[in-house]
Amino acid sequence: MSAQGEQLTDFERRSREVLEESVLRIDGRVRSRLNQARQAAVEAASTGRRPFYWRFATMVPTAAAAAAALVVVMFIFHHRGPQVDPPLANVESPRDLDLLADGEGLDLVQDGDGSGSFYEWAADQSEANGGNETDT
Amino acid sequence: MPVESHGDVELSEPSTNARSRTLNQFLAGVELKAFKIAQAALRHEDDALDAVQDAMLQLARAYADKPAEEWKPLFYRILENRIRDMQRRRTVRGRVIAWLPFRGDDEDDEPDPIAQAPSNDPSPVKKLELAEAMGALEKALEALPRRQQQVFLLRTLEGLDVAETAVAMGCSEGSVKTHYFRALQALREQLGEAYV
Repeated sequence: MSAQGEQLTDFERRSREVLEESVLRIDGRVRSRLNQARQAAVEAASTGRRPFYWRFATMVPTAAAAAAALVVVMFIFHHRGPQVDPPLANVESPRDLDLLADGEGLDLVQDGDGSGSFYEWAADQSEANGGNETDT
Repeated sequence: MPVESHGDVELSEPSTNARSRTLNQFLAGVELKAFKIAQAALRHEDDALDAVQDAMLQLARAYADKPAEEWKPLFYRILENRIRDMQRRRTVRGRVIAWLPFRGDDEDDEPDPIAQAPSNDPSPVKKLELAEAMGALEKALEALPRRQQQVFLLRTLEGLDVAETAVAMGCSEGSVKTHYFRALQALREQLGEAYV
């Protein structure tokens, strides 16, 4: 129950009358400032009443940048495709590399007329000679 | 939608705009009385205005989502805390200023033409009678201990009940009754039967 609904003594009633009159006599300057304060408070209530996740709004740019970087990295790895070996990847040893670098050596390996390479011919000769020696 | 009435506030419509309107209506209903209560405690117009302004802002920021029927005791609780802070600060400031060799005149003492304009114009006899009673009551209120002054104004001027006053003052209902009884007794003694 409000005090306004309670039984008041004459003294209380008189005091209320006097106090209410003093409120009515509050001057324009004070009323104006109170009005401004009230408008500011109402504005603060409407702008300040945001969902709880709004507090993290300041972290949104950072989080967005991190997410974008992650997406880029994943995209690069995902679309990298099968690894293409370099042209010289099948070279098994430095000796083969020297052979390939040497133009004349390559001619000995790949004979242009299709009759086989010099090395194949040399190997055949060696086998033939060896076979003869064992026979004799 | 049913409208529940609580003092000056109509409680309905959950939308934000309606909430802002309700808050505006509530603050408009309490601001002048709150100012008088703050002024009685602080005895300085601008300090009282600052206290009321801070209380309004804090209520709006922290408790606007609370049910509107809880606003009044909460608002006066916040206001009381603010008044107490300002009184403490003033005590510290007073001690510091007492050590200073020179104190300039307060520029706020200059008369403000707007401040001179009365907002109402009752009949001259009534005006004089009320002015005398007002002066006597304000003087008697100044002489009261802070808690008695507070309970008297909250109950008599703002019309809070015992429970609401207890919330606003941060004490038990029994304390409210005791302070109020003592305040009435002291004021009656000071003002006498002629006041009534």
